[in-house]
Amino acid sequence: MKILKEIYDYREMIFTLVRKDLRGRYLGTALGFLWTFVNPLLQLLVYNIVFSFVMRSGIDKYYLFLFVALIPWIFMSSCLTGGSMSIVGDSSMVTKIYFPREVLPIAYVTSCFVNMLLCFIVVFLVVFISGIPVNFAVWPYLLPVMAVEYLIGLGIAFISSAVTVYFRDLQHILGIVAMAWQFLSPVLYSIDLVPEQARPIFMLNPMTPVITAYRDILYNAQAPTMQTLTMAFFFGILVIVFGFLLFGRLKRGFAEEL
Amino acid sequence: MVIRVNDVRKKFKIYHDKGSSLKERLLFTKRYNFGEHHVLNGISFQAERGESIGLIGENGCGKSTLLKLMTRIMYPDSGSIEIDGRVSSLIELGAGFHPHMSGRENIYTNAAIFGLNRAEINMRVKDIIDFSELGEYIDSPVRTYSSGMYMRLAFSVAINVDADVLLIDEILAVGDANFQAKCFEKLRELKAAGVTSVIVTHDMGTIEKFCTQALWINDGVVEASGNPSDVVRRYLAFMSDKHFAQAAAREQAPEEAKSQPENTEQDPDEPMDTSSKAVKRFGPRHVEITGVDMKNGDGVSRTVFLPDESVALDIHYKVNKPVEGYVFGYAIHTMEGVNVSGSNTQLDNLNFTDVGESGYIEVEFEKLPLVSGRYVLQVAVSDNNGRVMDYHTNYTRFEIISEDRGVGIARLSRKWSVVSDDA
Repeated sequence: MKILKEIYDYREMIFTLVRKDLRGRYLGTALGFLWTFVNPLLQLLVYNIVFSFVMRSGIDKYYLFLFVALIPWIFMSSCLTGGSMSIVGDSSMVTKIYFPREVLPIAYVTSCFVNMLLCFIVVFLVVFISGIPVNFAVWPYLLPVMAVEYLIGLGIAFISSAVTVYFRDLQHILGIVAMAWQFLSPVLYSIDLVPEQARPIFMLNPMTPVITAYRDILYNAQAPTMQTLTMAFFFGILVIVFGFLLFGRLKRGFAEEL
Repeated sequence: MVIRVNDVRKKFKIYHDKGSSLKERLLFTKRYNFGEHHVLNGISFQAERGESIGLIGENGCGKSTLLKLMTRIMYPDSGSIEIDGRVSSLIELGAGFHPHMSGRENIYTNAAIFGLNRAEINMRVKDIIDFSELGEYIDSPVRTYSSGMYMRLAFSVAINVDADVLLIDEILAVGDANFQAKCFEKLRELKAAGVTSVIVTHDMGTIEKFCTQALWINDGVVEASGNPSDVVRRYLAFMSDKHFAQAAAREQAPEEAKSQPENTEQDPDEPMDTSSKAVKRFGPRHVEITGVDMKNGDGVSRTVFLPDESVALDIHYKVNKPVEGYVFGYAIHTMEGVNVSGSNTQLDNLNFTDVGESGYIEVEFEKLPLVSGRYVLQVAVSDNNGRVMDYHTNYTRFEIISEDRGVGIARLSRKWSVVSDDA
């Protein structure tokens, strides 16, 4: 509990880091901040070419089906891979100054989250342009879903950043892990495509209910089921608590390992 | 008690072949090759509000590790450290600075690292800028700063965050003499206001003047603690003895190594000018200086002296071939090679025609009124006609430790008074 208060006391440091990260991310590039939008759009284009023209999925307005899941997924993927570097990458600070170490992954995840929110502006635009029915009544559900995803992302970043300090190889392995995780989450396909007997296993993936919820709200224009929301909430709490405790244990050795 | 340090122990693993990749960890767990270095072996102390603890000890004794544990950058293996209130550490000053950002922006990021929120920083930003004396430069990027400006800014932030406890590691190298004096003034002010501090320094003057309690750490345990003057005296005596033991060990090195003109066993901190690399000893040695003993007022051999104690110099000689009269002399030089003082028996109107085969001649100084620092002792013997028999240009070095912060070489005892015309 004391550590939570301390992190709160260090909120200014978190804001400063987030601001610096957002400002510095595309510093010196020609398109600058536009990259925030261009990158996901290009990814969308690639996936769309593959799954709408080559391996036809038969899903109506596949680009939208994919887009509403891809943006939340990119956030989670950067929490895992980029988040793993949040301690190692700031080793000079960690070995020299005291501050609650949690600040670094929190700042990184928050900056990714802000990025995701900005991308959602584009998502909303695409939703309107696509001409599918829009049900504003269910949009408020986005708030708890995003909050839960933030918690999962933070928990994941706690774990990957702390473990990477001890096992540097992890930063290379995580690229593959992220890819596997993406294909095992219903980002490119619908959970209904998964064979019935394998579905319980897929339900153990914290991202399954989150992605399903986003898609329900924005693509299917309906409220997520109570089961989806409960599962998402349950995973959110589980991952953040586990990540926080693990980080708390491992952080004591950071300065010596770096 | 604001600070409670209780039986703190810390060891480091020294990897002879460190592998932090997964493969190495998984495959070679058994072959893992490391030694253990016990840095702290049970340190306990406490400090009350407004106290200043001075940590002293040799390099590598664990005092900096203790400070790092207190800042919570590292954690002890066992034992506990409890500190009440906000801690500001003046250890790695400016570690969080961003070179491309302006001084003002860096104040905000740096103060945020100390746990201040924006409103709190806004309240202090003027004090910080004033204290740093950066003036208009405050809005220039930090990368354009000189190292002195950089340190001044970092120090100003660290000292103005309203800490309850300050942890300080050798900050007294910050900026020029004026700024140092100002830092001291600020520290004194904070101390009076009830701020507790822990200071690591090699400057014994600071410990004696500023600290309320000194803690001498040796081999990871508290060797002595309490009144700063007493602890400092014991520590200096210990260091001097140790220095002596090392010198004695060197004496036993093979004779030829010693008589070689170039100094093969040169200390790393030896002044690296050409003169010291040159001849260390010359002369035909019909009369030979076999050794010199520097002793303090108690007759104990020392190489570190307090400024007010008497010092005796015993020059041991051996006559290999009698010469015409014997003149013994000494000279004290600064490390830069400035002759501070020197004389010989002839200049002092003493005439020795027969001194036997061997013995020693003693010269006693009531005190050595020199400023703190290291000095080089030269000794020589010649005959009455000034023909040098044996000349040691760098016989030994000794150190004067003084509370006097005056500069120069000589330490003149003085008294200031003001006579105002107004009266």
